[in-house]
Amino acid sequence: MSLRNRELVFLIPALILTTLGFALVYTQKSSALSLTSLTYGALFLVLFLIAHIGRRFLAPEADPYLLPVTALLSTLGLVVLYRINESLALKQAMWLVVGLVAFLLVLVFVRDLEVLRRFRYPIGILGLLLLLLTAVLAREVNGARLWVDIGPVHFQPGELGKILLVLFFAAYLVDIREVLTVSTHRVLGVPLPPFRYLAPLLTIWALSMALMIFVKDLGTSLLFFGALLALLYVATGRLFYVLVGLVLFLAGATVLYFIFPHVQARIDVWLHPWRDPSGKGYQIVQSLFALAAGGLFGRGLGQGYLKFPSGKTIIPNLETDFIFSAIGEELGLVGAFGVILLYMIFVHRGFRIAVRARDDFSRLLTTGLVSIFALQAFLIVGGVIKLIPLTGITLPFVSYGGSSIVANFILLALLLRTSDSVARKEKALEQAPRAAGKQQPRKPTIEAA
Amino acid sequence: MDKPLRRLFLFFALLFVALLVGLTYVQVWAAPKLKTNPSNTRAIEQEMRVDRGLIYSADGVELAVNHQEGQDFLRDYPQGDLTSPWLGYNSRQYGRAGIERLYNEELSGQSGLLGITSYWDQLLSKTHQGADLKLTINMKVQRAAAEALGNRKGAVVALNPKTGAVLAMISYPRYDPNKLDSIWQDLNANPDKPLLNRAIQGLYPPGSVFKIIVAGAALQTGTVFTDTGSVMAGGFVVHNYGGNTYGDHDFTTAFASSINTTFARVGVQMGADTLAGYAADFGFGKQPPWSLGGATSSFPAPAGMDKAHVAQASYGQGEVLATPLQIALAASAIANGGRIMKPYLVDQVLDRSKKVLQQTKPESWLTPLSAETAAMVRDLMVKVVTSGTGTRAALNGVQVAGKTGTAEIANAEPHAWFAGFAPAADPQVVVAVLVENGGTGGSVAAPIARAVIAAALGL
Repeated sequence: MSLRNRELVFLIPALILTTLGFALVYTQKSSALSLTSLTYGALFLVLFLIAHIGRRFLAPEADPYLLPVTALLSTLGLVVLYRINESLALKQAMWLVVGLVAFLLVLVFVRDLEVLRRFRYPIGILGLLLLLLTAVLAREVNGARLWVDIGPVHFQPGELGKILLVLFFAAYLVDIREVLTVSTHRVLGVPLPPFRYLAPLLTIWALSMALMIFVKDLGTSLLFFGALLALLYVATGRLFYVLVGLVLFLAGATVLYFIFPHVQARIDVWLHPWRDPSGKGYQIVQSLFALAAGGLFGRGLGQGYLKFPSGKTIIPNLETDFIFSAIGEELGLVGAFGVILLYMIFVHRGFRIAVRARDDFSRLLTTGLVSIFALQAFLIVGGVIKLIPLTGITLPFVSYGGSSIVANFILLALLLRTSDSVARKEKALEQAPRAAGKQQPRKPTIEAA
Repeated sequence: MDKPLRRLFLFFALLFVALLVGLTYVQVWAAPKLKTNPSNTRAIEQEMRVDRGLIYSADGVELAVNHQEGQDFLRDYPQGDLTSPWLGYNSRQYGRAGIERLYNEELSGQSGLLGITSYWDQLLSKTHQGADLKLTINMKVQRAAAEALGNRKGAVVALNPKTGAVLAMISYPRYDPNKLDSIWQDLNANPDKPLLNRAIQGLYPPGSVFKIIVAGAALQTGTVFTDTGSVMAGGFVVHNYGGNTYGDHDFTTAFASSINTTFARVGVQMGADTLAGYAADFGFGKQPPWSLGGATSSFPAPAGMDKAHVAQASYGQGEVLATPLQIALAASAIANGGRIMKPYLVDQVLDRSKKVLQQTKPESWLTPLSAETAAMVRDLMVKVVTSGTGTRAALNGVQVAGKTGTAEIANAEPHAWFAGFAPAADPQVVVAVLVENGGTGGSVAAPIARAVIAAALGL
């Protein structure tokens, strides 16, 4: 089966799951089957069929698994949102449309990644501006300043800002990669590059600290720092940077812990949620109760105890940060495992693209994007199951939130674009030596700026 | 560049594996502890969503029904305070009591009785439905008992002596379970303890109603003799307490007129061990044999009793303490040929389509007397109502048997008691009445018993 048809086939189970999921939730709500479930199913079918056809034309050689995994995650999110709050599901469905449009636009306009590399500085500045915008304009929600209101729309510029900054750093690291790996002196037997080449590291560190201080957003800060550290590591192949980065981050975080109450509160709640289970620890404690109630097989879609009789959700921010708890309660360990495995598949496919990539920029860009994606899923799931301190970020493709959905579809489009160009170059390489009559060794070529 | 990439992927894979392990820990390993954590109110909230089983009386009156508020089912008690002593309450804030607590598993549909239906409910996402209860209570009798007792502190118990089925049980003061959430503080602060079901939790000196047991023991052991239907006291000459002299009299007169000194002598003659043995045979010192529980009536340990103690105990004073239920059970032994049946309040557990899931079968508890002795005591009790202290319990056309009691209390009005049954030849109902500090049994308690018996027999 061709790659393209494979994608189409994999979209079918996602379609069935969506229709069934909506049918299930709907029958529970009104104890009658109606056309609504089919409407959502049809909407889903049309949307992802368009995405699939668009990709067929715009990125024909791209990885066939990423889009079906995305489809599954985003429709699962839609089903759970529909179960929590119908009007939110409707809004999310609209955002899904916007996201898919953004997805197609990126595929249409970014035909060559080289273009992005050329515009690395404008992109970097725009990314910074978006983050800055958040710090200046945003209103504070739940102790973090993430939301910016422009007219009736409020969005989180940081979601897009992350991707732009990853783009910039991938391009920038390609520029300075050679110098970074040159070591001139050794300290205690460890080869060290000249100190000034630690500048990129210090920059991202400063940026993430600034995020923590001014935006009060631990999640984005950690995400951002982790992804760029991963980039630095892949670019240089030196664990040294990772170690220095971690030490810096821990040192910074420790200082902030003692200075800023919002950092302190998050850590304290994580360490001692049972000291105040109805106050500060309420959210995480209720999340654990929900997961425990779900058990192995869950209570079934629509059967969980997610809302008070008043309609308020028991866990605050259930539809955004804590949507994974709702999945854990209603679909059980089995369903929650499924979701985590979907993220693993996504990340695995992403790394495959990076490994196959011939040029440094494609490779670093893919690494950065996949790292952001993986870390985001890890941070929020780890947070709601109390494995790590809670940081308020969205679960990619699943949580309610327009900015997050759109940003992640852009991320997906960039991955598919890279995947497509990587595959095309492979094909070209295979055909060229065949014409010349000899085999070319598979060695990555380095494109210097 | 491949190596760092692979390492990085491995690192992310490890992070995800950590998530899987952490998730398994929370959802499987720690789940039982989390579910029972005291700050986890999910179980209570979940039970509020169950369409809780209805409770109705033997004569079909609805005693506990539901109304829905959103997804929650909330309880209504149409009979108000009339049923509270045994029905109890089901409150989100204050938990449960009475039948609501004891039969919570059935009412909330957790019991295996409903079998596979609850799984189907879950699969089909129907509202979970609990099992209904049909009680033995007859609301006509219950209402008559409440009206007859009125606003006097005390209790009334009416049983079917042949089965042990409780026909009525009332206690005063009591409370309206519909208003529980707003009156809870007052109920707990009230010195009269309205939350106490005096019929099974109140312990009182039984006074002369205890003579039913002493007479049974005396006749069974041959301490007093029977001769062609009349009972002879064996030539006792008695000078009674309070200066009354009865002159020569037989045992029937001693019982009918409740002559303490005669009973004191009979008791002393039998001895502490025999008395204590018979008290135990009638149920003293034993947990009430039903799920509703209640206080244990007590008779003092025979080893520590001197003659004066034994004499006092023989007419139900001193350290003898009994619940109204215990006195009703003792009287039921006389009414039921010497055998006491275990009391019960829930007749049937049914599903919503009236299919019977569980039927309570009458069980015997104790057999303190032979049928012959029981018949002799019954005749004594008939005399009490026809010509003794209990004439105010008499009914037209029905032979009532009974015994009055006036339990002396230091520095207070005595407790008024009456225990009896009717019709004497074929008893359908046993009644025990207690009025705290009410006065004499004959004038205060007997009329209440009369009203309850009349209601039970449909007169």
